[in-house]
Amino acid sequence: MQSPVLKISNISRSFGAIHALKKVDFEINKGEIMGLVGENGAGKSTLVKIISGFDNGYEGEYKLNGQVVRFETPVKAELSGIAIAQQELSLIPNMSVAENIFLAGAKVKKFATLKKLSEEAKPYLDAVGLSDIDPSIRTNLLSVGEQHLVEVARLLSHDAQILILDEPTAALGEQESRRILDMVQKIADSGKSIIYISHRLDEIFKITNRIAILRDGESQGIINTKDLNVDSLVEIMLGRELKNMFPVKPTKIKEDTILEVKNLWPDGLIEPVNFKVQKGEILGLAGQLGSGAGEVLAAIAGALQIRSGSLVLNGKEFMPSSPQQAIKNKIAYCSSDRKKDGLFLGRPIMENLTSPALEVISKFGIRSASTEQKYSKNLALEFLIDVKRLNDESGLLSGGNQQKVALGKWLSISPEILLVNEPTRGVDVGAKSEIYQRMRELADNGTTIIFASTDIQEVTYLPERVLSFYQGLLIRQFGLNDIKTTSILKQITDPFNETNL
Amino acid sequence: MQDLISSYKKNLLLSILLTFFVLLFLYGIFATNNYFTWFNFKTIIRDAALYGIMAIGLTFVTLSGNFFLLSIKETAAICCVSFAMGMSTGYGVESWVGNFPISLLVTLLIGCLAGAAQGLFIGLGGNPIVVTLGGAGILYGIATWWTDNLVISFRRPNDAEWLGTGSFLGLPTITWSFILIAILAEFVLRYTNFGRKVYLVGSNRAAGKATGHENLSMAIIVCTICSALCAFVAVAFAAQMSSAQANYFSAEFGSSGDMTILVIATVMVGGNSIMGGYGNTIRTSIGAIFIAMIDNMMVLNGLNSGPRIVGVGLMIVFSILVFALYAKGSRAQE
Repeated sequence: MQSPVLKISNISRSFGAIHALKKVDFEINKGEIMGLVGENGAGKSTLVKIISGFDNGYEGEYKLNGQVVRFETPVKAELSGIAIAQQELSLIPNMSVAENIFLAGAKVKKFATLKKLSEEAKPYLDAVGLSDIDPSIRTNLLSVGEQHLVEVARLLSHDAQILILDEPTAALGEQESRRILDMVQKIADSGKSIIYISHRLDEIFKITNRIAILRDGESQGIINTKDLNVDSLVEIMLGRELKNMFPVKPTKIKEDTILEVKNLWPDGLIEPVNFKVQKGEILGLAGQLGSGAGEVLAAIAGALQIRSGSLVLNGKEFMPSSPQQAIKNKIAYCSSDRKKDGLFLGRPIMENLTSPALEVISKFGIRSASTEQKYSKNLALEFLIDVKRLNDESGLLSGGNQQKVALGKWLSISPEILLVNEPTRGVDVGAKSEIYQRMRELADNGTTIIFASTDIQEVTYLPERVLSFYQGLLIRQFGLNDIKTTSILKQITDPFNETNL
Repeated sequence: MQDLISSYKKNLLLSILLTFFVLLFLYGIFATNNYFTWFNFKTIIRDAALYGIMAIGLTFVTLSGNFFLLSIKETAAICCVSFAMGMSTGYGVESWVGNFPISLLVTLLIGCLAGAAQGLFIGLGGNPIVVTLGGAGILYGIATWWTDNLVISFRRPNDAEWLGTGSFLGLPTITWSFILIAILAEFVLRYTNFGRKVYLVGSNRAAGKATGHENLSMAIIVCTICSALCAFVAVAFAAQMSSAQANYFSAEFGSSGDMTILVIATVMVGGNSIMGGYGNTIRTSIGAIFIAMIDNMMVLNGLNSGPRIVGVGLMIVFSILVFALYAKGSRAQE
């Protein structure tokens, strides 16, 4: 039995009253690929920050090669051989690949020609399977997947012994993901340890030796991958069966059409799409990033340019050219990036909640403070937002509560159709369940809801009909009875049998 | 007392400003001759009123996230010569010579047009700095071209004197205008839908668009408001001088050199967020009075215009610094 290169025992970390980590244990052996999984908010990123030296305000013991360590800065962690590739790329797009690889670290030379750098970069690029790439080209000419590989090559150039890869495939299609997985395997074979974080459970099962599971800041143990299957892993991650998180589905599909999408061709799709939406149903658009599901939603809301097509809303032909027009026709759209265009972060929650409905709460353009108070209080109560905090800046809320505000504000216009892109991105388990509950209640009261999601669980358990998208194509429709995790997963990852996962 | 301290901490920037305000006032009373007199007080708020009104207009632009108009003094320049032309020549119509309402209307119209045009380009996605720099050149050029860069004067007595040099209940008309405009502007920002939209669009333009509040109409309206208020000040100033020249607002205005910088300073010193979405016109008004007080004190202490312009510059730097530090601590957005 070899001793682990990195061992963490009893680590706790709290931020004020919030305990992000509670007595967590973690370890990794030499040459091992260790999966790290958990729901959003389970403490994965806090743990990773501690390991990589971004955060040293923890309690507990952190041993590297048998020695107790405490890194004050990420640079010190890196010198000890721990390197992290963040989910968001940190490459400089306008510099060459070679320059990016040697951007920082011990091997940086004061003076070097690009040719010299390229020669030196070559072995690292070979190691990550990028041997066919010229190190002197600009980084932004590479695909996103290749850029991730360059980032890993950079870590290798720092002599990293333990690599942390945080969702390297989140933004990638199937083919590029496979490339990354191959690379990870190859690096592990060369004796380096890899901590692999991903929401894609299929990947986790494919490449890892062991899996460390976190839930609500507590370790749920480190388990050999071959002793687990998807269902048992999910159950450990969530602490309950998946189904209980979701409201009960109706027993049959509604029948009167409220919206018909005719030949709609938004930017980002390969061909126009046609489908019908029934009044009072929840329709799920399933697809990975770049599949076009989100684009369809945005187009219906007038937030995205279209090449052609139209909508038939309540029997009338209609195509919004701006969100403003969509809102006038009671179509509300909640985008996937609430920080960007879902919330006014610097403004109070109350103003956020009433922002789409100023006309409703005013007379001749003048508001009375008490009407607004009452109005937003009702909305807050309906969406389980703390009414005492209505005057706080919305930016101070947690992710889950922010999402509730971003969604809840649309109730103020009593929409007929509610479009939601990624209803629960960056939201904790509890808030997730509440949001699902509310969405179902709204649908029961006659609001039509269409949502797009990359989360296979919510696509399976929330809607009564699902449309699956793959790389800009509408692939298939699922009815109430044929919605199954496995078949949807197949349709959104590999509908044409191109790969054998 | 506890409440007082906690509200002091909550409005840190405003409190720092007010503290300075009080200290300066005390210094003025005890250490400067001729400071604590009714006449001097009137001078201060008269000065404050002129750039305060323009700054209130600019506050709308800044709050809505459209940064600044760099064409403030040029807008004022073309408006002041337009008014003087109206009073002295009647725009070529014999019967209009000396007609105050017509001159005022034409001038306000020019101001609104200038603002709306710049707002249109900004709203369509133009960079506010570039658009208004261009606008500034065009407006100033037209103003000098129109008047051959001469001083246009119109004889007293005329119909505009009540606005230029008149007073009501002991305060100059322009000061009353400042007070009324400040109250009206604050009401609009606080209680109307338009005011709320200014804040929303200013704090997050993308979210504003997503909730149906487009920046295009917003930019046009706020730029028009700002330019119309510049036009009003220009009229009052021309009425006060009974004359106008295109470069009145560049060098000879009030005391501290360049009008545009002074107005921007007023908005900044008040502590309005340069990125938009945060601030109000009370802050701007306090900023105006603050700058006028400091400037007045420098005058009474015998400083000439060079050091006084340095003083205004220092105030901008100071307020931006304080605001940046303050913003780091409390606002989630930055």
